[in-house]
Amino acid sequence: MRDACDIVIIGAGHNGLTLGSYLARSGLDVIVCERRHEEGGGLCTEELTLPGFLHNVHANYHTFVDMAPPVADLDVRAHGVEYVRPEVQMASVFEDGTALVVHDDLDKTCASIARFDEEDAETFRRLHREAHGFIDLVLGTLMYEPPMAVKELTKALASFGVEKRSEFLSVKLRVETIDQFLAQHFRNPKVKAHLAFHGAVCGYTNDVKGLAIGFPLLAGKIDNWHLCVGGSHRLAHALWRDLAQHGGVMVSDAEVSRVLVDGGRAVGVRLADGTEITAAKAVVSTVSVEQTFLEFMDGQAVPEPFREKVRTEVRHKDWTLFSVHLAMDRFPEYEAAAFDPDVDRAWVVNLGYGSPQELDADWAAIRAGRLPDPRPNAAVNSLYDPTDAPEGCATGLLRQFAPFALAEGGAGAWDGVGPYYGRKCVEAWRRFAPNLTDDAFLDRAVFTPLDIARKLPNMVRGDWMMGEISLDNMLDQRPLPELGHYRTPVERLYMGGSTQHPHGFITFGPAYNALSVIAEDLGLEHWWRKV
Amino acid sequence: MPDIYTPDWYDAVVKAINGRVEQLKDVPAGAWTCRIEIAGDGSSPYVSAGGQRHFLVRIENGQCTWYREVDPEDDGTELDYRFQGPATIFDEIAAGVLDPIDAALHGTVKVRGDMRFMLRQAELVKTLLEAYADGVETTWPEGAPPYEGAAHA
Ligand SMILES: Cc1cc2nc3c(=O)[nH]c(=O)nc-3n(C[C@H](O)[C@H](O)[C@H](O)COP(=O)(O)OP(=O)(O)OC[C@H]3O[C@@H](n4cnc5c(N)ncnc54)[C@H](O)[C@@H]3O)c2cc1C
Repeated sequence: MRDACDIVIIGAGHNGLTLGSYLARSGLDVIVCERRHEEGGGLCTEELTLPGFLHNVHANYHTFVDMAPPVADLDVRAHGVEYVRPEVQMASVFEDGTALVVHDDLDKTCASIARFDEEDAETFRRLHREAHGFIDLVLGTLMYEPPMAVKELTKALASFGVEKRSEFLSVKLRVETIDQFLAQHFRNPKVKAHLAFHGAVCGYTNDVKGLAIGFPLLAGKIDNWHLCVGGSHRLAHALWRDLAQHGGVMVSDAEVSRVLVDGGRAVGVRLADGTEITAAKAVVSTVSVEQTFLEFMDGQAVPEPFREKVRTEVRHKDWTLFSVHLAMDRFPEYEAAAFDPDVDRAWVVNLGYGSPQELDADWAAIRAGRLPDPRPNAAVNSLYDPTDAPEGCATGLLRQFAPFALAEGGAGAWDGVGPYYGRKCVEAWRRFAPNLTDDAFLDRAVFTPLDIARKLPNMVRGDWMMGEISLDNMLDQRPLPELGHYRTPVERLYMGGSTQHPHGFITFGPAYNALSVIAEDLGLEHWWRKV
Repeated sequence: MPDIYTPDWYDAVVKAINGRVEQLKDVPAGAWTCRIEIAGDGSSPYVSAGGQRHFLVRIENGQCTWYREVDPEDDGTELDYRFQGPATIFDEIAAGVLDPIDAALHGTVKVRGDMRFMLRQAELVKTLLEAYADGVETTWPEGAPPYEGAAHA
């Protein structure tokens, strides 16, 4: 293995690989160290059940396709990535046999909403249209640029008189919950439940103060969900190919245990097997803040007061995800198809949340470490990607909002509880799709919050967003004000993963923004900035 | 009164912008080149349907130093901002019929470039846009917007 380069990147998730590719394309000698046997991190596809059934262990829904600059800059499609945007994107099925369906076509979505409330349908149309208008501006300003301060943003919004010009954007959103936003603009509880559910799947909990600010953008991309044909890992592989083709190297089974610091400056890393790799120009961590500042360095390398802040002030999401991966010999047939046949073609289905209050009650239970009666969401990728299961079969995925540490037994209790809770999730699905009898399932594998943390230790406490999603942990405050601009208290050590603005999800944003900062510090030409 | 999109009109826009910027405090230092790309949409008589008219504008220390039409094929200049949209929209902005901030917010005019700088300099940007929209008395030899039957932003 090579033991010297310009830049060492810790972690080969989509952020580490993306950053590595841009830097390699800029002519730098890049080594990306990955703890696991393969690249991808959250972009992981495995045959968890039976051969031929491709399960996306973590990221399944790709919502920033064609919005994130790296998708074009790094030619991911030319490297073999194919995305499908399902025509029936998402649905909610309700206890009374009705269903609300989101299509890739706004008119059809509004027609579905109108069956619940015509006024809500028109409000949604206006919200979606308005959000679509400003989506480029918002993405350009807020996601694919190093962050501004909330204060600066509010001042600019006021100067441009945005509040007067917009029905939905306003300065007061920064003190409101998504629930409050929905209560102000929508009437029907089921419509509100579906929208709140959509927020939650994106990591934006509907009862958290301040998150209303992000909701118009979420609404604007409610129908931009894509699946990666052949499994999400294909994207990771494409990013790796791009890195390799431009001279970068990804080393697998290379767990970093130390960041080497000399005279206050990061100069390389030490791997768990003792190998040292020196970095002439910079080290970038895309793993957790805790790993980086508490495990990889000691109080001599990083000022102790800062380490104490990492110990006490870094915040994580207060809920995570419990998954059941299923090998199935049939597709679900929902009872609600009698109400709206399109529900049987919906890629993702919310099973049963009928009002935001029902979601709120589950958040309260989860925060107390209790397992809610499952109301998972069900995705069947095979509906739109027949390559992910043997012919005539289907790959199923149930995702349930869940606590990391259980009130009884803590996180360790998941190993015992997982199979039982998995069965309950399947039963919840069957209540809405009765054809999913026991014999429909050829095999199943549960993946608990504890499994997340074991597989990806950077997702501390199973935190799939790698940091709490709240207004005071966003923008330049994420994950701490000292780290908000991708630089760290150690010279030439940068943070470039989902701990940073904008946040987790397959956004490419943290890497893209860290790149700007690193380029500025190293004097690189910004060839990727196409005005 | 100059005709729209003529050298006299560009001069008048430059004067209008500079007159208003002079009244601002704290104008940021620096130089920016912006390209305005106007696409013929069949409604505006000033840009042929399917055709393009492109303009370059140079701002230095808040002042507009020049404004000129360039060949749409010639994309060689290093840019800081690019504004793109249909001719009807740009005509309506120049005629003061359509608010340029509304047009950007509703996505009818696409803006590319460092948005953070634009947001941080909101007062200057607003002044520039307002001067463009209502600072020049323009003649519209082929008819003034809004055009009959044209889709409005
Ligand atoms: C169950 C689950 C479901 C999800 N669903 C979605 C979804 O549908 N859509 C979506 O967009 N997002 C989803 N996410 C979130 C998404 O997976 C993450 O936000 C994303 O993977 C973060 O990317 P990253 O590159 O910052 O970090 P990661 O993808 O986590 O990559 C970090 C890499 O660092 C490696 N690493 C850790 N420690 C070390 C070390 N000491 N040395 C070297 N390498 C190390 C890890 O192995 C990993 O490969 C989901 C996450 C989970 C857990």
